[in-house]
Amino acid sequence: MKMLAFVPFALAALLLTSAGNARGDSCVTSACHVEISKIAVPHAPVKDGDCASCHNAVSKEHPIKGGKSFQLAAKGGALCTGCHDGLASKKLVHAPVKGGECVACHKPHGSSGRFLLDKGDDQNPLCTGCHDQATFQQRFMHGPAAVGSCTECHDPHQSQEKALLKQNVRDTCLRCHSDFANQLKAAAFQHPPVKKDPCTICHDPHGSGVPMFLVKKMPDLCISCHAPIGKKIAEAKVLHKPIKSEAGCSSCHSSHFSKAKGLLAFTEMETCLSCHGTDKPPLKNIKKEIANKKYLHGPLKNGECKGCHDPHGSNYFRMLGGSYPETLYAPYKDGLYDACLKCHEKNLLRFADTTIYTKFRNGNRNLHYVHVVNSRKGRTCRVCHAPHASSGEKLINVEGVQFGEWKVPLNFKTTATGGSCAPGCHRPLAYNRDKAEDYSIK
Amino acid sequence: MLRGSRSFHAGRGIMVLALALVAFGLTGCGARKLGSGEPVFWPPDPNPPRVQFLKGISASKDVTGDKASVKILSLSNEEEDTNKIIAKPYGIASNKGRIYVVDTIQNNVAIFDLVKQTYEILPGSKGQGKLKKPINIAVASDGNVFVADTFRKEVMMYDEMGNFVRAYGKDIQMKPVDVAVDDKNIYALDISNNEIKVIDRQSGDLAGSIGKGSETQQGLSLPTNLTMDKDGYLYVTNAGTGKVVKLDRDGHIVHTFGGLGDSFGEFGRPRGISVDDKGRIYVADASHQNVQIFNETGRILMFFGDPGYVYESLNLPAGVMVIRDNLDYFQKLAAPNFILEEVIVVTNQFGPVKVSFYGLGQMKDFKGYDNIPKPAPKGKGDAEGKK
Repeated sequence: MKMLAFVPFALAALLLTSAGNARGDSCVTSACHVEISKIAVPHAPVKDGDCASCHNAVSKEHPIKGGKSFQLAAKGGALCTGCHDGLASKKLVHAPVKGGECVACHKPHGSSGRFLLDKGDDQNPLCTGCHDQATFQQRFMHGPAAVGSCTECHDPHQSQEKALLKQNVRDTCLRCHSDFANQLKAAAFQHPPVKKDPCTICHDPHGSGVPMFLVKKMPDLCISCHAPIGKKIAEAKVLHKPIKSEAGCSSCHSSHFSKAKGLLAFTEMETCLSCHGTDKPPLKNIKKEIANKKYLHGPLKNGECKGCHDPHGSNYFRMLGGSYPETLYAPYKDGLYDACLKCHEKNLLRFADTTIYTKFRNGNRNLHYVHVVNSRKGRTCRVCHAPHASSGEKLINVEGVQFGEWKVPLNFKTTATGGSCAPGCHRPLAYNRDKAEDYSIK
Repeated sequence: MLRGSRSFHAGRGIMVLALALVAFGLTGCGARKLGSGEPVFWPPDPNPPRVQFLKGISASKDVTGDKASVKILSLSNEEEDTNKIIAKPYGIASNKGRIYVVDTIQNNVAIFDLVKQTYEILPGSKGQGKLKKPINIAVASDGNVFVADTFRKEVMMYDEMGNFVRAYGKDIQMKPVDVAVDDKNIYALDISNNEIKVIDRQSGDLAGSIGKGSETQQGLSLPTNLTMDKDGYLYVTNAGTGKVVKLDRDGHIVHTFGGLGDSFGEFGRPRGISVDDKGRIYVADASHQNVQIFNETGRILMFFGDPGYVYESLNLPAGVMVIRDNLDYFQKLAAPNFILEEVIVVTNQFGPVKVSFYGLGQMKDFKGYDNIPKPAPKGKGDAEGKK
């Protein structure tokens, strides 16, 4: 019995629904507005046949030839905001939204894709209808921009953030690059801009002509902050070649974070030897050169190559920190041997006689002076000393020194008060600091 | 000074105060009271301070305290006996906190320790060890003391206790005005021959003479003072050329800088010279009445002690030395937050202070010269505002 009490309500409801459908059905028939019925994803009122929620009849006749018997319930955006409210309330509003041009993007009756958009998942064709297409056709593209997932990062209607981003730049990036975020947090050394600034300082979020869609190519990008390095590489006569390669600064540096000082990819020596430890001419294999050697040059002992070489470039041979002759013979002049003498005794080669600056002397006769300050044939340091490592004390070239095709032996020995040398350069000679040897031939 | 003027005239109204201020203005900043208590810094404002005057000594009571004043009441001559004055000092040296000052009028050496408050006269200066005209002094690493005596024309050696040991140079033609010592040799600066006599400490024999010029290099010229740095280089001031000449112990001239003149880095009458552990070179100048500080390449860094203050300025400065002993003691004399690095001690031949102590340091919050805020440019607004 109780059930019967509900019957009138149920009938009323059925009547109302069928009446609505009846209105829709009367608009969309096989003869009229037939295209509306073919829409894959119709607008909810269309689906419900509620045409009158947007269209009002202004004339009893329909259709009127050459006239309009219906008009929109409201003008511009006001028609949409009746249902879709609050899409223009934030700091930044997408221009079409602000101008009530909803139909610039959306199809009011329905579309082939979601959100009344007609372009499918690739939003690029839709967005580039207004936005410059070139931005999205770069050689190197950011994934979302490449596949047209613009709304992964941007809110199409409004935002509190610039560029209609859904969050601030860093958070927008890190919500996908979460793995990177974790590594950054754990890293010993972090590039300060990576730590706090928007990623867009260095990267173009859509794409660019440079790998990793950097805003500029390296090293230009890096030296826009690291100006002294820029000045150095602009002026250096001898430039470290990787700087000008495609990988640029990141040939040695890890741009975001690193375990090693100076944001190097590895420790200083490992980084250098990753190239200079291979048999790839013209590079020498320094790794091989120093392997199993008892004595390493001081800076190398501390794992430093930059003690002598400037890793970016310098005005001197082999990117040394000071002058050093390129040739085997170069008579000493003030400043010519600065690369060595900036650490080693500055007065080593200034005086023919000394009791102070070297133990390599016969009596007070400075034998370094004899060898190097020779106006015709000043022997450079490398003739007797190895620059990187040696099995002999004072980095003496115990295995001999390469002289064209001949490896000239040195046969250098020391005693308590001097030593001797039987090289491929001159007859065997001894030297004694306390009691000078007589070199005259009797 | 300003504070003192105000309290003195407090009851006499604004007019008197104004007069006092005018008087202050006329006397200028140079007329400071003796030990007014306000820190005196060089270089002057607005530069960040680097050198502060710390203390002056002119007699034994400045070291041992004011004990003598009690004895004045006894109306005897004890005060003179007890309070030994420094009459005209020249050379200065130190060893383990003890400071040696050569007095060229009283022909003795005052030895005092500021922390232990002891003061004595070199006991060995008597009999064979009697000083006749001592000028300069050096202390060897073993504590032995060497004094250059221009009347005896010898270098006198005393042990750490001040007892006479021996004299060097009886058979050497020289007029030694200064002396430096290493473990092996004595380097006596011979003004009459423009060279340094190298004397073997063991034998007393002349081992060589260094400092003469060559065809291409000017040697010593009226050399007056000599010092040796921690690496064994010798530095000589030359009244003849106004140059500082740096030599190695073999006699090679390694570096020369300065010259006669009144510009920065030049000298009128260069005298005492000292080199600190960081290679900074301090040169006293009796003509400019200041001490100029150079870096190891001879580039001038700053100067201090110029005339202007009665008490804190230098007065015919002669000897200079740099010490790091008893830094805690000197730190207490420095202005709050002025952190001392080392102490520069200068002798004055004239004036109320005979031995002046200056602290080299910097303010605790000093962040380097690059971080000094630049003064705002004076625009039109300022000028109009003053109208």
